[in-house]
Amino acid sequence: MKIGVLKETFPGEARVALTPASALQQQKLGHECFVEAGAGVAAQFSDADFIAAGVTVCATAGELIGAVDVIAKVRPPTDEEVDQLGKGQTLISFFYPAQNEALLERAKGRSATVIAMDMVPRISRAQKMDALSSMANIAGYRAVIEAGNNFGRFFTGQITAAGKVPPAKVLIIGGGVAGLAAVGTSTSLGAITYAFDVRPEVAEQVESMGAEFVFLDFEEEQQDGAATGGYASVSSPEFREAQLKKFREIAPEMDIVISTALIPGRDAPKLWLEDMVASMKAGSVVVDLAAERGGNCDLTVMDEKVVSPNGVTIIGYTDFPSRMGAQSSELYSTNIRHMMADLTPEKDGVVNHNMEDDVIRGATITHEGKITFPPPPPKVAAIAAKPKASVPELTPEEKRAEEVAAFKAQTKNQVTLLAVGGALLLGVGLVAPASFMQHFIVFVLSVFIGFQVIWGVAHSLHTPLMAVTNAISSIIILGALMQIGSGSMLVIILAALSVFMAGINIFGGFLVTRRMLAMFQKS
Amino acid sequence: MDYGFTTAAYVVAAILFILSLGGLSGQESAKRAVWYGITGMALAVVATLIGPGSGLWHASIILILLGGAIGYQLATKVQMTQMPELVAAMHSLVGLAAVFVGIIAHIELGRVMAMGDAEKKALEGFAALLAKKDGVEISILRVELFLGVFIGAITFTGSVIAYGKLAGSVDSAAKKLPGGHFLNAAAAIISLVCLVWYFSTGGVAPLTIMTIAALFIGYHLIMGIGGADMPVVVSMLNSYSGWAAAAIGFSLGNDLLIVVGALVGSSGAILSYIMCKAMNRQFVSVILGGFGGPQGESAEIEGEQIAIDSDGVATALEEADSVIIVPGYGMAVAQAQQGVAELTRRMRAAGKEVRFAIHPVAGRLPGHMNVLLAEAKVPYDIVMEMDEINDDFPNTDVVIIIGSNDIVNPAAQDDPNSPIAGMPVLEVWKAKQVFVSKRGQGTGYSGIENPLFYKENTRMFYGDAKASLDDLLTKIT
Repeated sequence: MKIGVLKETFPGEARVALTPASALQQQKLGHECFVEAGAGVAAQFSDADFIAAGVTVCATAGELIGAVDVIAKVRPPTDEEVDQLGKGQTLISFFYPAQNEALLERAKGRSATVIAMDMVPRISRAQKMDALSSMANIAGYRAVIEAGNNFGRFFTGQITAAGKVPPAKVLIIGGGVAGLAAVGTSTSLGAITYAFDVRPEVAEQVESMGAEFVFLDFEEEQQDGAATGGYASVSSPEFREAQLKKFREIAPEMDIVISTALIPGRDAPKLWLEDMVASMKAGSVVVDLAAERGGNCDLTVMDEKVVSPNGVTIIGYTDFPSRMGAQSSELYSTNIRHMMADLTPEKDGVVNHNMEDDVIRGATITHEGKITFPPPPPKVAAIAAKPKASVPELTPEEKRAEEVAAFKAQTKNQVTLLAVGGALLLGVGLVAPASFMQHFIVFVLSVFIGFQVIWGVAHSLHTPLMAVTNAISSIIILGALMQIGSGSMLVIILAALSVFMAGINIFGGFLVTRRMLAMFQKS
Repeated sequence: MDYGFTTAAYVVAAILFILSLGGLSGQESAKRAVWYGITGMALAVVATLIGPGSGLWHASIILILLGGAIGYQLATKVQMTQMPELVAAMHSLVGLAAVFVGIIAHIELGRVMAMGDAEKKALEGFAALLAKKDGVEISILRVELFLGVFIGAITFTGSVIAYGKLAGSVDSAAKKLPGGHFLNAAAAIISLVCLVWYFSTGGVAPLTIMTIAALFIGYHLIMGIGGADMPVVVSMLNSYSGWAAAAIGFSLGNDLLIVVGALVGSSGAILSYIMCKAMNRQFVSVILGGFGGPQGESAEIEGEQIAIDSDGVATALEEADSVIIVPGYGMAVAQAQQGVAELTRRMRAAGKEVRFAIHPVAGRLPGHMNVLLAEAKVPYDIVMEMDEINDDFPNTDVVIIIGSNDIVNPAAQDDPNSPIAGMPVLEVWKAKQVFVSKRGQGTGYSGIENPLFYKENTRMFYGDAKASLDDLLTKIT
């Protein structure tokens, strides 16, 4: 197949869907690569670099579209670009089909296949082509850098000869990919970083990156990100109130706020209100990564940097990935390459558009003259871990009843044993003489004590236990000692032998136990 | 000195013995507990020597000291890996002593019975005690000493065979004479007949016949039990030696003997129970010997055992964050515990989490592995029981199995037809990678094929455990 990459026409867009490195990889899949002249210039890839990588450079977009089977780009196509698509041609790019219905209709009208990179389902297997994540990662990083650029102080705290510098406090709202990338960048610059997310399972991820999770004092069924494919969903008014209250409380302390809160298919929730901006110190910075969808901050102006009356800078740029064109292009082109790899499973350069495949099916929005959006839910569950199936909590009454039942069973068991044992003992007592019974009772009590005591012995001390019981069982020496003085020579010899052997045992047993126990040491 | 003092001393000694056993509930308190035991024993011996009924106490002290010298030699020279043998050997001594004491009691009884009243009054010591007994008491005494000799004789030969098997001088495989358990049953019936005979006549013949029969039972019973069941055997013999002491205590009318015998007897019984539970086997089936159990076609094992050399193991260990070591009898045989400890020290110094998983029946003696590891100065707080650690295997990078086989056999869980089905095992196969240090491709003591060795995440590190570890240590810093 022939893959062609268009030059981005969107003003300020620096990314490109192919790099010389990814072109080499595409060729390994059996594809031939084309690129529009100057497509990579903004991302520091010259046409010469592409030619060196075996890519054919076409002078114009029209020429390129005419020459190739698969067209890849970054931004959603313009109307003109869509109109040039031919039947059976495939377009791979961001598309946002939910917001661009007219464009979707237009593409359907051309009978072209469109794969939207923003529709790649969030399953483990598809992570390698999840361009939203790779771009969000860059946006999160860049947001911190932009904030630092507009923040007149250090991130990290320092004590210098010229005075003490407190560390910056950074709040990151939203713990998705961008949020976590921002957390990582901010902590590595040395700032004290706080993060907030409506999904409680994010707390662990945030803490693993070195930030502190902001917990709300709010009792409610917290949302479960796994049910929505790992994305946040709308929260209840009460929850929102609790959230805003917490933000209001911490706003005066924060030097930098980076908000990344987005809910799929909706306007960005307003989380950083005017009064919070007003309570921040002069020189503080708010970076609103949700600016494109209306912004999380009241004062955000899309694509602009504004300064509030009290001197807080609010950045509403929407082109963070594009501000790092080389890096973004590298990651995006790799996502595209992985998409092509899935489309050409045989690595023979023949595209097999397998609509049974969860990933391909999910990302395809028009195919063979039909709109295939929205896709059915994927067969494989989302990446977020399922919460543990909780054991149904027993009510106190049930617990009580259970305890009582267990206690009763135990009592019954014990009483039975005691009754049987007692009866046996009494039976023996009926026939045996008193002098025997005296010893017998001692015996029974000792067995009883033995059982009680030995259950408490630590597992690891079983060998010393055996050695010590061995030594102790040499108490049989008492018998021999009592006998040795009375009677015939034979008795004396036998008794002497017994004393001798028991002597070995006593000393051997105790000494070896001591030796063993001395070896047990704590680390 | 009179009876009062001796009895008081016995009470104190008995309490000290109980404290001594109870103190074994923790490593630290155990160190104190041993002293309780030693004091109790010293007290009991001294009280008996100066108490009523003892004679020839010079000779006794000399004999005790002589025996003590040998015991000291044994205790200080013995290798920790030979603990099972030592314990078995010491059991045999207790058993033999019980037999002797029982026979003496018989002889003395005969002598006293033959005397007239006047002579009886003149008697001293043990004989005087016997002389006071009336008819019923004498009958009971006969039963007691008979039982003491019976149990003592079984303990003696059984322990000797167990010693032989553990020391390797007797083939450890389960062996039976033709006739199998019928021979044992016959010997037991003969003993029973002898009991009745002896009970009515008090003659020397039934006692002798019974002693021979009991010696045979001890021999044949333990010959029929395979090496893997030795932990149960040793603790069972431990129990027997206690019961023998208790029975002798009855016949001598000595409460301290009864108390201690009962303590030791119940201790051994509980240990046997714990061991059996850990192997998911009935006590009876262990005693009856061999691996019987459900018969049926065991699942065929597919795949092959993949070998790895020390470089491979070293690399994997360098990369691992968490390591669990599962030692078994093979480690004891190869004397590899020092190497294991050194490996542990180095890995811990490198910041890795290293722990030990000990199966309750690992080795040939209850708690065998703990003692070996303690000898090699592995701190005991990283040595875990099966229940404590079994859930952690899925989060573990590397598991090293040194000389254990059946206790890590997944067939116990997967294959209902396996002879060890249902036995609790360490779930090592759930770890990311498993290395098995093993001498060759043979099966374990139970002779059961181990599917673990064929798993995809298992690599076989063939060779003598000690040599393998030494080789490995040269490659790990």
